[in-house]
Amino acid sequence: MNRKLFLTIVALASLLPLTGCWDRRELNELAISLALAIDRIDDRYLVTVQVVQPSEVVSQKGGGETTPVTVYQSEGVTLFEAIRKMTTYSPRKIYAAHLRVAVFGEALAREGIGDALDLLSRDYEFRTDFYLLVSKGMTAERTLKVLTPLDKIPASKLFNSIQTSSKAWAPSVTATLDEFLEDIEGEGRNPVLSGIRVAGNASKGDTKDNLNQVRPPARLRNAGLAVFRKDRLVGWMNERESKGYSYITNNVKSTVGHIPCPDGGKAAIEVVHSEAKLKGSVKDGRAKLAVELSVEENLGEVQCRIDLTRSESIRELEREAENTLTEILDKALGVAQNKYKSDIFGFGEAVHRSNPSAWKSMKDDWDNLFADTYVDVQVKVKIKRTGTIGNSYKERKE
Amino acid sequence: MTGSANLESSLKANVASIQERTGNSDDLVVRDIGIGTEGAGIDFAILYFEGLTEEKSINQFIIEPLLNFGATRGEHPLTDVHMLMDRLRKSVFAVGQIEAINDLAAALDALMSGGVLVLCDGYAQGLRISMAGGEQRAVTEPTNQSVIRGPKESFTENIRVNSALIRRIIKVPNLVLHNRKLGKETRTNVSIMYIQGIVDPTALSEVGKRLGSIDTDAILESGYIEEFIQDEPYTIFPTVLNTERPDTVAAALLEGRIAILIDGTPHVLLVPALFVQFFQASEDYYQRADISTLLRALRYFGLFIATLVPALYVAITTYHQEMIPTQLLISLAAQREGVPFPAFVEAIIMEATYEILREAGVRMPRAVGQAVSIVGTLVIGQAAVEAGIISASMIIVVSITAISSYIIPVFDMSIAVRITRFLFMGLAAAFGMFGIFVGMCAMLLHLSSLRSFGVPYMAPVGPFVLSDQKDVILRVPHRSMKTRPSLFGKLNPIRTRRKDRDQP
Repeated sequence: MNRKLFLTIVALASLLPLTGCWDRRELNELAISLALAIDRIDDRYLVTVQVVQPSEVVSQKGGGETTPVTVYQSEGVTLFEAIRKMTTYSPRKIYAAHLRVAVFGEALAREGIGDALDLLSRDYEFRTDFYLLVSKGMTAERTLKVLTPLDKIPASKLFNSIQTSSKAWAPSVTATLDEFLEDIEGEGRNPVLSGIRVAGNASKGDTKDNLNQVRPPARLRNAGLAVFRKDRLVGWMNERESKGYSYITNNVKSTVGHIPCPDGGKAAIEVVHSEAKLKGSVKDGRAKLAVELSVEENLGEVQCRIDLTRSESIRELEREAENTLTEILDKALGVAQNKYKSDIFGFGEAVHRSNPSAWKSMKDDWDNLFADTYVDVQVKVKIKRTGTIGNSYKERKE
Repeated sequence: MTGSANLESSLKANVASIQERTGNSDDLVVRDIGIGTEGAGIDFAILYFEGLTEEKSINQFIIEPLLNFGATRGEHPLTDVHMLMDRLRKSVFAVGQIEAINDLAAALDALMSGGVLVLCDGYAQGLRISMAGGEQRAVTEPTNQSVIRGPKESFTENIRVNSALIRRIIKVPNLVLHNRKLGKETRTNVSIMYIQGIVDPTALSEVGKRLGSIDTDAILESGYIEEFIQDEPYTIFPTVLNTERPDTVAAALLEGRIAILIDGTPHVLLVPALFVQFFQASEDYYQRADISTLLRALRYFGLFIATLVPALYVAITTYHQEMIPTQLLISLAAQREGVPFPAFVEAIIMEATYEILREAGVRMPRAVGQAVSIVGTLVIGQAAVEAGIISASMIIVVSITAISSYIIPVFDMSIAVRITRFLFMGLAAAFGMFGIFVGMCAMLLHLSSLRSFGVPYMAPVGPFVLSDQKDVILRVPHRSMKTRPSLFGKLNPIRTRRKDRDQP
């Protein structure tokens, strides 16, 4: 009896080493990659991976002898092959679960990134919460070869600065993998991605010299919005147009802009709350589109002569702000409709919601229909506060 | 043994047979006394073991009265020995417990348990006088279960002192004590104490039955009895509670539980013992209810840390790296650079080192304590990390685990937790989080299957008893603690009656 029990226990215990441990990976067997760049060279993919050197990032004693990150590159007909091939250069297996950003080269983006996205969404190791970016006017790999100050890891610098500015600066837009896929799979909305470029002397970015100057020679810069039609890049939006896009798609959490004063000069206003309503309906077989934007603002800086104690002057400023915003929205709508013929705002979804049966006949040619439809823009601005002082001190002296 | 032999009427023969039975031990004192006139006198012998009795009292209350009696009655020779002994017992010896005995076995028993034996020539009976005494430890502060607020007494090795400490707290005639002797060779005194009218009769008869079935040669400590009477021998979780605090015993008796006192140890056993009781410190009831509740929650939290943290660390860093925030992952990876062992081996090394240090700390002579602790701190703390053998984060994990296991008030439970920790580490190393959760399920099933003297071990959590939740994680104020725990105090459930308070 006891012998039987003993043998059973031995048999069960031997199961532990037999079945377990097969996917065990120690932390120091991982090449933690935080950024991935994908370019197209002829019919092959060039994959670049930015891998962290942990001991350089977390320097207990001195450190800083080598660069905080290193870059591995390889080519392959498919992405999966290319990434696996990296093990021939890298001492450790590339570990992608902590990927912060994936950058696509502009050339690849113009061809379409749908095929490249398949691996990112299929492989279990990739999460879906990293940001997708497009490198403007250069290959994506160059953006991964720039060392950045303050945040030692360039990938997390990119991630953090996109995240921070999207909260405080309207033209910045974030798009994660799952959001992007949702846009290209769904109907009635085309995706946009943030653009990125290396400003300054790009060739100096990959040495430590880049960090030894107060103003680094090579710097990573936001490069406006990349407008897509399905998975294909069709063009770029500048800062002002990007701002309009953010307002219409409700991406503005807080931002700052300026308006002209009634009697000349400028005033800066801070947006504290912004809400846009997209309206789409179908009348007589034609789509009717409208945007209603209501914005709450604070006065942040006054560089003109105006008596802020009078409520009329506040109202005048509100009217100026409404005009400025209408202009911004019209500009963004104009670029999307006329230049790129791409409904990046999601008007199609609004039409779909309001009239599903009419949408069925429209959806195949929606981008062209959208380009020809007039969009009615209504803007309402409310200035709530004027800061800690009333009138500008210049006004008070007299 | 031939203990049934009766005492003979010859003093010499009796003394000789007692000496023979005790192997002529040198600490057996035989004091000869003769009273009365020459030729018509009577010989007495007073026997006792040196050190077991209070010799001063023997001189003062036995020998002196006897000699005085002899001196005053010298002229009237007392020929009737029976009357003489009766008289001695009733009006000469100034002692409390005295009784006549007939046989040799009883005589020996009296001697062995610290009594004094008075024998008389020509009389086939003896007098047994209780005069146990000698050196023993005083009642001191508890060393293992100390409190900030609350009584500072703890039990001693003397069973009568211990029962007296309990009787001083609960002053009702219903507090019952029954004695029995266990252990063929040690003849250890074991007492059961309970409060009649509150105690659960079925548990009480169960305790009596299990104690009665113990057939062993020696009971040296409460642990012997605990192992004999526990419900499930094959478990790492304690199902009998032991304490060195009289107030804890009193509280348990008032809840309807049973105390088992064992002579020779300051640890008193309490049954039935439930899982949640191992997380209740006596101070919980002396402090304010709010802080007690917070501390209870902290203890259960500590239980999880002590059981699971090394296992979680191993599982997450070797299987589930995606669960760690990126910044933390990078700093953990940086610490692991150059560490030659897998995380599991690292964890086992550090846990084993800690267990060795702990065990050495308990066993080593006090004088070398400092040397060991300095070496231990250096080995655990710095050298291992600086040499690159162990990562710094592992040191943090082991330290927090080690400290957390001592937040559990009863030491037996923290031993159980230490054992489960190693089981979970093994599961984590082989199966990751999956292994940990399967292990948790298995542990929960095991705990739910345990019983302590018929009471489910996990009560009142599983089975859930709403009215008993007042003293599990919460410790409600005493005014609201109106009833005794329903599982073993149902005979007399009311504790506190609400009286209308005067409004100020």
